[in-house]
Amino acid sequence: MTRFHQTFSFDGTPVACTDNETIASALDRAGIRVLGPGQNDCAGRYFCGIGACQACVVSVDGTRMEACLTPARAGLFVQRIGSGAS
Amino acid sequence: MSAEVLVIGGGPAGASAALHLARAGLHVTLCEQGPRLGGALHRQPDDPAQRIRVPRAQSQRWRALSTALEASSVQILCRHMFAGIEGGGTVLLEDRASGRLVTRRPAALVLALGAVERVTPLPGWQLPGVTTVGGLQVMMKSTGQAPDGDVLVAGSGPLLLALAAQMAALGKAPVAVLERSPKLVSPSVIASLITAPAYLREASHYLLALARAGALPQHGTWVRAISPRDGRLAVTIVDRHGRDRELVVDRVALHDGLLPNQNGTAAPSNGPFVVRAGDCREVLGGVAAMADGRHAAKAVLAHLGRSTEAEPSATRVLSRERRAQAAINALYDYSGADPAWLPDETVICRCEGRTLGQLRDLLASSDPVSAREIKLNGRFGMGACQGRFCAEWVAAFIAAQRDGEPPAVSEIIGSRWPVKPVPISAFVTLPPSRPSE
Amino acid sequence: MPHPASSPPQSPRSVAIVGAGIVGMSAAHFLSRAGWQVTVYDAGAPASGATGSADGAVSIASKKPGPLMTLAVAAVRFYEHLTETGILGDEYLPRSTFVVASDQEELGVLERHASHLEASGVSIRLLKGAALTGAIGAAAPSAIAAVEVQGEGHAVGYRVVERLRRLGGFPIRRNCRVSGFNFSKGRIVGVVTEDGVEPTDAVLLATGLGSASFLSGLGPIRPRKGQLIVTDRAGADAPSFPGPLMSCRYLVSKGSQAAPGVTESRSLGLVIDPLRTGQFLIGGSREDRDDRETTDADVVATLLRDAVELAPSLAQLRVIRVFAGLRAATSDGLPIVGRVGGAENLWIATGFEGDGICLGPLMGRLCQQMICGEPVAHDISSLDAARFGLSLATAA
Ligand SMILES: Cc1cc2nc3c(=O)[nH]c(=O)nc-3n(C[C@H](O)[C@H](O)[C@H](O)COP(=O)(O)OP(=O)(O)OC[C@H]3O[C@@H](n4cnc5c(N)ncnc54)[C@H](O)[C@@H]3O)c2cc1C
Ligand SMILES: Cc1cc2nc3c(=O)[nH]c(=O)nc-3n(C[C@H](O)[C@H](O)[C@H](O)COP(=O)(O)OP(=O)(O)OC[C@H]3O[C@@H](n4cnc5c(N)ncnc54)[C@H](O)[C@@H]3O)c2cc1C
Ligand code: FES
Repeated sequence: MTRFHQTFSFDGTPVACTDNETIASALDRAGIRVLGPGQNDCAGRYFCGIGACQACVVSVDGTRMEACLTPARAGLFVQRIGSGAS
Repeated sequence: MSAEVLVIGGGPAGASAALHLARAGLHVTLCEQGPRLGGALHRQPDDPAQRIRVPRAQSQRWRALSTALEASSVQILCRHMFAGIEGGGTVLLEDRASGRLVTRRPAALVLALGAVERVTPLPGWQLPGVTTVGGLQVMMKSTGQAPDGDVLVAGSGPLLLALAAQMAALGKAPVAVLERSPKLVSPSVIASLITAPAYLREASHYLLALARAGALPQHGTWVRAISPRDGRLAVTIVDRHGRDRELVVDRVALHDGLLPNQNGTAAPSNGPFVVRAGDCREVLGGVAAMADGRHAAKAVLAHLGRSTEAEPSATRVLSRERRAQAAINALYDYSGADPAWLPDETVICRCEGRTLGQLRDLLASSDPVSAREIKLNGRFGMGACQGRFCAEWVAAFIAAQRDGEPPAVSEIIGSRWPVKPVPISAFVTLPPSRPSE
Repeated sequence: MPHPASSPPQSPRSVAIVGAGIVGMSAAHFLSRAGWQVTVYDAGAPASGATGSADGAVSIASKKPGPLMTLAVAAVRFYEHLTETGILGDEYLPRSTFVVASDQEELGVLERHASHLEASGVSIRLLKGAALTGAIGAAAPSAIAAVEVQGEGHAVGYRVVERLRRLGGFPIRRNCRVSGFNFSKGRIVGVVTEDGVEPTDAVLLATGLGSASFLSGLGPIRPRKGQLIVTDRAGADAPSFPGPLMSCRYLVSKGSQAAPGVTESRSLGLVIDPLRTGQFLIGGSREDRDDRETTDADVVATLLRDAVELAPSLAQLRVIRVFAGLRAATSDGLPIVGRVGGAENLWIATGFEGDGICLGPLMGRLCQQMICGEPVAHDISSLDAARFGLSLATAA
């Protein structure tokens, strides 16, 4: 059975995640589609799923990385790029 | 101690290369950027109850390969991203778990980085909620659940069928599957696919699943534009007769074929011996990737002066798969929307937010500006994805405007390390060099 | 305004400019405006040399005291002038440069340099303590002092070139290497390329590093490689960078101020340049090498360690690109601008090392004045090619 007993923080909001998924899929399940401010109205988002497009990059405990390659873990501090509290 | 060989990419090509090299007695390290091996095809949730169907023969072969790999001497490093070969010939790996940059000087390097999907530009492709077909599939494979909401699948290629059928199997078929190619299977294609019956079986299985779900692909149909509407996506669809209609959905998955993922993988003269394997060398699919891994292993062994046996079976598999892929590709239309149709606002480079209007403007004068000038002044290919999603299209567009050969994609993306962006925080962990040479 | 037709009848009318870097393109612009029929030749494309792989400090802050510093002051004013007259559009971005000292030794270098700047008429501000942290939010607590060099700015070399290309008025021959010249009676009468010979009345060599092949006495122009790092964009929440931060060590690396015991073939001096895009350009090395294809992790990691020490918030960004360019360095650190022996209608403007983006437009203007026989607006006698005894290599 899928377990959702753990959460990480995304821009201050708790997001539920399982043991074996990426940050990107947990955010998607939570209905969060905009992953960053992006450039000239091209907002950050999940796109290629394999770390190639760089559109899903978020700050994870202070380091920028692709949400689609990064395993979700309880207690992570995930932020959109530029969303403060740095 | 035996020479170290580094294999990058934990898909079928990399896994098979690593295993064969280890069996030949070499000290092998296999690096994968993601948290698990499997690559694009064999990525699966840990929960076996939620497995997504992959053709049985292929998944059996993968299971055998990964079991053998675990039992072998190969050192497996997940969450290790290959960042490139720097000017001194040293291989750079970013260890994502520790946040450090690690250097290696292997005797040989096998690059099995897989493919990248093509998505040709159309208005709105850059919106959140729009993904690649493979991207949606990856998410589905890793969660074992169909994506929520109404999904439209569009573009061209067999991957559209695979995704749609896998969704149908999870009880949630897409609202529509739009296949740009007007062609249906022709006798000549069937004739050439007879030699690769696995693909025919796979396709008929997918089609059957989609027929049951009432979501058979609509041929000759394509997406003209996508725009945001009340938190959803309004999609203008052009049907076979050239008529527009509109569909409002939650997600759009696009795909126009696959390209080898070769950015920045050129070998510097003073670096290790480099071999590419699998879709990273030539996009031939998962079966060929395993055979190609064996080939790459053989090339490395030959380079290191080890005796090798001939690999007649791998060569046979590769030429059979090349024929089969050619026959399959002949069915599809990867050209994307005719640029003449596209409005100036169409985003070409998502990373830098650059539009077709800006590209047209650079090409407007009679002055034959070079690809490099277009890159520098238009910023196409200068963003974080390093041109993986725009360079090839921009090069073809330049050529079409000029009735010429496309400029080399490398003029737009360059061939430099880092292969992908690397955190500065990882760089600063590199130990300071010995005092100057 | 003298009408072109009123110039003396023997006055040359067409000019071949070899090299479409910032210097050649600036000269082309001004000569074309002066009524000349200009043709620009480049072995590659505009900005394919140093101009396309440089930072764009239009800056006095790092210049060597003496003629170079004086010319840099004039060059910055010229950028302002070109902006006021609309020629450069908004390509020039005025801003201060901040030279930061992190220890007592650096402070000594900083104070010495600051007094030279003041003597050249540059307005500066010494920042310490709260004034320092207030002005440069991104500076590390370890910074003990900084000098704000006011009244300078930034321009991207390839964008200036593109702007001048668009203003137009002259053709650019791409992929067209000039291999030599045809002569008659001590004058150049034709430009030799793969496509044949094209007649010309005058020639300007603005060939950067490529100049050496035209000159006898190869000695004075040497490649000096520089590696630069490009980051991704800082977020909206990043600490403020009011302008580029330059470590005091950079002045030493550039040879602008001497420090004991610096005789390496490679030196690293740190400049953290906040670009308009929100990205940073972090540089750079000075290496006596001529390969612009390779960049190395060692140089990059060293620069980044220094950068993070100076501005810790940079550690949150990623490196998206590393590239190298080749500066055309001279043995005395000054450019070569003026006539060259061997032909009476030949001029040269080269050897701009790490200063050509700053000096380029002004030098283009001065070349136009020389070629037109007008009075030259600034004293450039110290840049004369004669100091190296240069003349045109006869073997074409
Ligand atoms: C998104 C996507 C979905 C696909 N779905 C299907 C499908 O359903 N059916 C089908 O037949 N074919 C599919 N394909 C085609 C697929 O590429 C091949 O069938 C097969 O997986 C190729 O094997 P490979 O080993 O060459 O590459 P892959 O299986 O793609 O493996 C490459 C591996 O390299 C890793 N990697 C990439 N860059 C780096 C780096 N810099 N550092 C470290 N590791 C890196 C990747 O994470 C990946 O695990 C898909 C392709 C893509 C891109
Ligand atoms: C890493 C780096 C950082 C720098 N940072 C700065 C800075 O911050 N501020 C600053 O002011 N300056 C800086 N510079 C210096 C500046 O880039 C150069 O001084 C300036 O670009 C020189 O311009 P140029 O027109 O003389 O030469 P180039 O731009 O090199 O142009 C010469 C052109 O001549 C062409 N050519 C050569 N031979 C031939 C031939 N035979 N026929 C036809 N064409 C030929 C070449 O293709 C080339 O396009 C930097 C340089 C580097 C490398
Ligand atoms: S979705 Fe493309 S890099 Fe993550």
